[in-house]
Amino acid sequence: MIAATAIHDPWWLAAGLLVVAVLAGRQAPTIGWRALRAVLFFNLVISVGYAAGALFGQAVSLDYLILINIRVYLLTFLTFTLASRIDILRALRFSRNLTYLVTLVLSQIITFRRLFEDLRLAAESRRLRRLRLRERYLLSAATAVHLFDRAEHDAREIALAMRSRGFFQPDAVDDARGD
Amino acid sequence: MHIPDGFLSPQTYLPAYALAAGGWAYAARELRRRVDETLLPRLAVLTALAFVLMAVMLPLPGGTSVHASGIGILAVVFGPWLTFAVVSLVLLLQALLLGAGGVTVLPVNALAMGLGGSVAACLGYRLLAPRWERAGLFAAGWLAAVVPAALIAVVLGLQPAIAHTIDGQPLFFPFGLAVTLPAVLVPHVVLGLGEGLLTVLVVSFLRRR
Repeated sequence: MIAATAIHDPWWLAAGLLVVAVLAGRQAPTIGWRALRAVLFFNLVISVGYAAGALFGQAVSLDYLILINIRVYLLTFLTFTLASRIDILRALRFSRNLTYLVTLVLSQIITFRRLFEDLRLAAESRRLRRLRLRERYLLSAATAVHLFDRAEHDAREIALAMRSRGFFQPDAVDDARGD
Repeated sequence: MHIPDGFLSPQTYLPAYALAAGGWAYAARELRRRVDETLLPRLAVLTALAFVLMAVMLPLPGGTSVHASGIGILAVVFGPWLTFAVVSLVLLLQALLLGAGGVTVLPVNALAMGLGGSVAACLGYRLLAPRWERAGLFAAGWLAAVVPAALIAVVLGLQPAIAHTIDGQPLFFPFGLAVTLPAVLVPHVVLGLGEGLLTVLVVSFLRRR
């Protein structure tokens, strides 16, 4: 990653992209598409903004546009390739607290997403007309309260389960090797 | 307000890594010291909320994005160091799972949002809350949006001066401070109003439970 920001030749960066694609193996098309979707909108905004400088008589370089776009894409492709090969929970095993915090956070993110989708579908299926603005605000507030209640309840249950396994004992050391 | 990967020079992000590493070590010690069965679930819930809020982002011409963050809420409830730790965690997860932000820019985003934003939020809250509780919460949310935006705009706006070719062509982010400061700050001053309101609502809600 540091190399990708230390090299300023688009050809070398393109070669790096090829190497990363080979490393990604059969996942390369999937990861490539994900990386493209992740950077496309943002890079368009920056590139169009930069190119617009030409309208105001500023010096605009095509080389720069190629360099910055290929570098951003390479870094995102590389990040996704690494993420597909790294088990984040195993990587954080040096700290018990961090491992459990990440486990809880990931479970909460999944809970939030699933509940939000369930509630949205439930609201869709029960209405005959488009909701008024006030009704939409009330629905959003009710959804938020429900999400919090459910997430706190789940997190408390997990915490109790962790406590029953000795996680919060005063002499517990923040060291996963002791597990 | 994330800076995406590829827009910061190594001259910027490598020293930022050194600085952030010290902060992460201190924050980890704070987490170890304070963690218990009440703190951990609540921290997880609000961290997940911050992840969800930060995932909905719109790019700005000034080189960053606009989104709610929940940093004001985290700062008021947990203080600046735990906020720095969990915002760093959220940024890492977003980089790995969504490609938002990135690994090279992680320390700059974490220092600006997690530390700069939370310290400003705590100061604003402590200044106002003794007399006007809700105004203090609102100020915490507003500052948590505006201060990181200002820091990020400055870091981005300095890139053309820090890293360029002999003939002055930028190698990383192309726009100077004259573009980044208004382009990043103005939307965040407005977004901060929503962030302030969110902080008042969520913290009041949490206190009732």
